[in-house]
Amino acid sequence: MAKSLPRIRRLVGQPFPRVDADGKARGTTRYLADRHYPGLRHGVVVRSPVPRGILKAVVPDPDFDWTGIVLATAKDIPGINVVHMHDRTMPLLAEIGGEIRYRGEPVGVVAAKTPELAAAAAARVRVEVDELPPLLTLQEAVATFKSAPARFDSMKNQDIVKGDLAHGFAAADEILEAEYWAGHQEQLYLENQGLVVVPQKDGSILAEGSIQCPYFPVHELNDPLKLPPEKIRVRQTPIGGAFGGKEEYPTMLVGYAAVAALKSGRPVKIAYERHEDILFTPKRHPVWSRYKVGFKKDGTLTAIECDFILDGGAYLTISDVVMFRGILHCAVAYRCDHVTIRGKVARTHSVPCGAFRGFGAPQAIWGIESHVDAIAARLGKTPDAYRLQIHARPGDRTPTGQILSKENGATDCLRLALRRADFARKLKQCSRGRLLKGQKKYYGVGLSFFAHGAAFTGDGEAKFKAKGRVELALLDDGRPGVDIRVSSTEMGQGVHTVFTQIAADALDLDPARIRFPLADTALVPNSGPTVASRTTMVVGNVVHRAALDLKSQIEAFAALRHFRGAAARLRGSRLVAQGGKSVPFAKVAREMLAELGGASGFFQFELPADIRWDQTTFKGDSYPGYSWSANVAEIEIDPLTCEIAVKRVCAVLDIGRVVNPVTAAGQVEGGLTQALGYALLEKIGTGPNGLYDAARLQTYIIPTALDVPEFDVKFVEYPYSFAPPGAKGLGELPMDGLAPAIANAVAAAIGVRLRRLPITPEAIHAALHPVSGGAP
Amino acid sequence: MKTTEHIDIRCPRTLAEALRLQADERTRGTLLAGGTDLMVQWASGVPTPVRATSVWNLPEISAIEVCADCLEIGAGVTHAFLVDCTQVHRHLPALAAAAATVGAAQIQARGTLGGNAANASPAGDTAPALLVTGGSVVLASVSGTREVPLDRFWTAYRRIDARPDEIIVAFRLPKKGKAQERFRKIGTRRAQAISKVMAASRILVEKGRIQSVAIALGSIAPTPVRLSEVEALLAGQKPTPALIDEAEKLAQASVRPIADIRSTAEYRRWASGRLVRAALENL
Ligand SMILES: Cc1cc2nc3c(=O)[nH]c(=O)nc-3n(C[C@H](O)[C@H](O)[C@H](O)COP(=O)(O)OP(=O)(O)OC[C@H]3O[C@@H](n4cnc5c(N)ncnc54)[C@H](O)[C@@H]3O)c2cc1C
Repeated sequence: MAKSLPRIRRLVGQPFPRVDADGKARGTTRYLADRHYPGLRHGVVVRSPVPRGILKAVVPDPDFDWTGIVLATAKDIPGINVVHMHDRTMPLLAEIGGEIRYRGEPVGVVAAKTPELAAAAAARVRVEVDELPPLLTLQEAVATFKSAPARFDSMKNQDIVKGDLAHGFAAADEILEAEYWAGHQEQLYLENQGLVVVPQKDGSILAEGSIQCPYFPVHELNDPLKLPPEKIRVRQTPIGGAFGGKEEYPTMLVGYAAVAALKSGRPVKIAYERHEDILFTPKRHPVWSRYKVGFKKDGTLTAIECDFILDGGAYLTISDVVMFRGILHCAVAYRCDHVTIRGKVARTHSVPCGAFRGFGAPQAIWGIESHVDAIAARLGKTPDAYRLQIHARPGDRTPTGQILSKENGATDCLRLALRRADFARKLKQCSRGRLLKGQKKYYGVGLSFFAHGAAFTGDGEAKFKAKGRVELALLDDGRPGVDIRVSSTEMGQGVHTVFTQIAADALDLDPARIRFPLADTALVPNSGPTVASRTTMVVGNVVHRAALDLKSQIEAFAALRHFRGAAARLRGSRLVAQGGKSVPFAKVAREMLAELGGASGFFQFELPADIRWDQTTFKGDSYPGYSWSANVAEIEIDPLTCEIAVKRVCAVLDIGRVVNPVTAAGQVEGGLTQALGYALLEKIGTGPNGLYDAARLQTYIIPTALDVPEFDVKFVEYPYSFAPPGAKGLGELPMDGLAPAIANAVAAAIGVRLRRLPITPEAIHAALHPVSGGAP
Repeated sequence: MKTTEHIDIRCPRTLAEALRLQADERTRGTLLAGGTDLMVQWASGVPTPVRATSVWNLPEISAIEVCADCLEIGAGVTHAFLVDCTQVHRHLPALAAAAATVGAAQIQARGTLGGNAANASPAGDTAPALLVTGGSVVLASVSGTREVPLDRFWTAYRRIDARPDEIIVAFRLPKKGKAQERFRKIGTRRAQAISKVMAASRILVEKGRIQSVAIALGSIAPTPVRLSEVEALLAGQKPTPALIDEAEKLAQASVRPIADIRSTAEYRRWASGRLVRAALENL
């Protein structure tokens, strides 16, 4: 055996500092708003003044001075007026004679020299609509679903069936049924939506901006813009947060700006202010779920029946896939042989809902984790013991029939969280509606336990085949290094850092020689959108393998050039071979750049060949891997005012290999904070005019630093061995399960279970002081 | 997109100069102190004025004077100043507590007591604390000064008893003496929160009886209000648990709050009574 060389410190697993920190901390990073575009026009979207009706006319006011101002409407769309999305039903701009389906639906775009002038002009466009009665909310849709199911307008249905429900209920000793509601949630990224479209001489366009998924506009706007994919180039500017909010929406925004840019022949920028951003961009889907669960006296689940309805808004856009992820998380974490889940996407006359961290999973987990607690209470079991009894383990079959692999930290997460939080002892201190001795406030502790399917649903990754390159380049200092070429975008989550770590390890190269330019569809292959907690898991593997490919090319070149054909290795930024004197990487890289014009490592992701998935029956392997987590929340409720404070949260997570423990913990604390807002604060309704009622930072309440509890975050590692370095998906998991843990803690504190999010002091008060004669 | 570039902002160096500007309609401008209310209003669609007169840092209105029986607090004093001032803590603890709940550090550094009072939002956090002192507002114009009792200062929703040519210069606030003051705010979250309900109280208990009592609430009516019925119930009584129960119920019966984006009418009504209880327990 060859003597092993001294081991170099690996970066994967280390708290490597963020590679983008310097520019962001110093303010040298240039966001869209910092960039200058010669000849720029500012675009403002003209919107429908009513939630529903037939569009009669879009009339510019003749008394207004329109010189130098462009108004683009549906008739200026070069091709077919449709944005692809998932069902090709949504027009880019509403057509005259067509149906308006939500308040604020775009009917035109005004472009002018200044944002003020554009806004003034847009206000002088009369939009005439023959109004029709709208159905604005999920509440109304569900009422129809219950009273007149035939009239319920569902844009997509999907069932999951395992075993025989009737059989399962027949075997039950008891059945518990309840409904769970949650409303919209706004992503509230720091940087609002914005981008610029620059028309090119050859008729193509360049779009640049705060875009989470640069390849989406490339493939979604070909019909309306009458441009093939290669004529739509999309470049990412540094993104000030997205959380899914900049997944599908920027495609529409590119479309609006492009129509005005093509008509005016000038670059057109559309950048929303906060109010417009909250009013008219997608949010998390409101949910209604009804769980009916049968169980034996010993707690064994015999049947799970679930109706799961999301409010899709006016058009399907991507809501089918959100609902799919939702139903796949409705019952995945517990053992049960007979399961039926029926998912639906309700159409309402409201802004289409869209991607938001968790993508349907938080809505599903909110219901099941509340319900499991309620069953435990009915059985007289503690929430911890009951979950330890019924949770799914390796070898178990999920509702779709997938057999859970051994790379599964479910039990560890649960046990460790319970231990770290001292759950069993604290459970005894819960007030249950009566202050215990020494308590000034109602105290409650709550548990949740859940999985998150990592990467695209089903065979999505198998079909997609994410591609990526790692190639030699001269870096900004003029010296050689490598560029990571993938379409994954940095949004603050740290992908530039973890990919740098992965590539540095694979190449055994100084990380300072690795650069990760912002995604540009002209320069990077399609490694897929930065969504679905897939990036580190799937694209991280692509980077790892592409870097290994490049490494072998460099080694082969060096072997011939410097070592007379003896096998060379790239180690510690030097090429070494037995008996030869080592050569610096920089020297070899320069030679390759000069003589070969460079070198490029490539990889295309594949799933194991034995993955089975049936997209119609929803049977098979629904995700390549599962991340797991248990959350414990401790809360206090002031009996004087019903104000609620989250005091401590413990989260234990199995996310596979932890590539960077510091950035990973940051993701967890951030996600938990978002989940806390979802649970307690973020309330937004729809007014009779079809507009959101909390569309400013003053009224849309997210947590501040003072609202955030003490966090105890811990990882257990069960790596996804198929795809080194073995990450399983982290981004969404922290958002998934804290809301039900808090709701369970509230139930333990006041002795009443609340089944609607957010849980406000008003709701707690109403639960504790039901109006006599009113509904319970 | 709204800018303030086109506003003609005058920055007088002295109060006299400011009063002269305000005296004449042709030079009069919207009074601009910290701007933390005005800037938000302008950004959300309220028309921007042609002219503004800055009273920020005007020396004559930016100090706290400690007199024998009262504190005279300049209208230009910031919330941060109130929070830091030991005299305010000692003599007007409810006001100090109220100022500490305004926004967060940045807003407290910029927002002024005069701006909070003049903005006349029912949710202005310092208003109940001002009201329970039984003090007054000092207004100035070129023709002199006048004093308006605080309980007559807020006349209607977002209206104050001040003429267009007047500037609030100070608040004359009697010290609490032996009385106890309390302040409690229920906001939408822990910081940067607009009040759903808040209460201030100043109560003197001597020889086991309530000798004097002032309780004021905010965010439950078009203006900040004193709870005169509750005060009448309590005056001269022993603060027994039964009396506190009665006061809580009376408070709930006497307020007529509205529902809005921040809270429900039912909750506000209930919480009004709860805050009265908090003012009375363990005196
Ligand atoms: C993020 C944020 C959070 C906030 N949180 C709170 C909160 O928790 N509680 C709260 O009560 N408020 C809050 N506010 C509102 C505001 O900060 C306070 O009302 C503050 O005290 C206003 O003072 P200012 O000096 O900034 O007033 P300005 O905005 O300068 O003026 C407000 C009004 O007062 C008038 N005015 C100012 N000075 C005088 C004077 N000397 N004489 C006559 N009229 C005058 C102005 O013409 C204007 O009408 C918040 C504001 C923001 C932006």
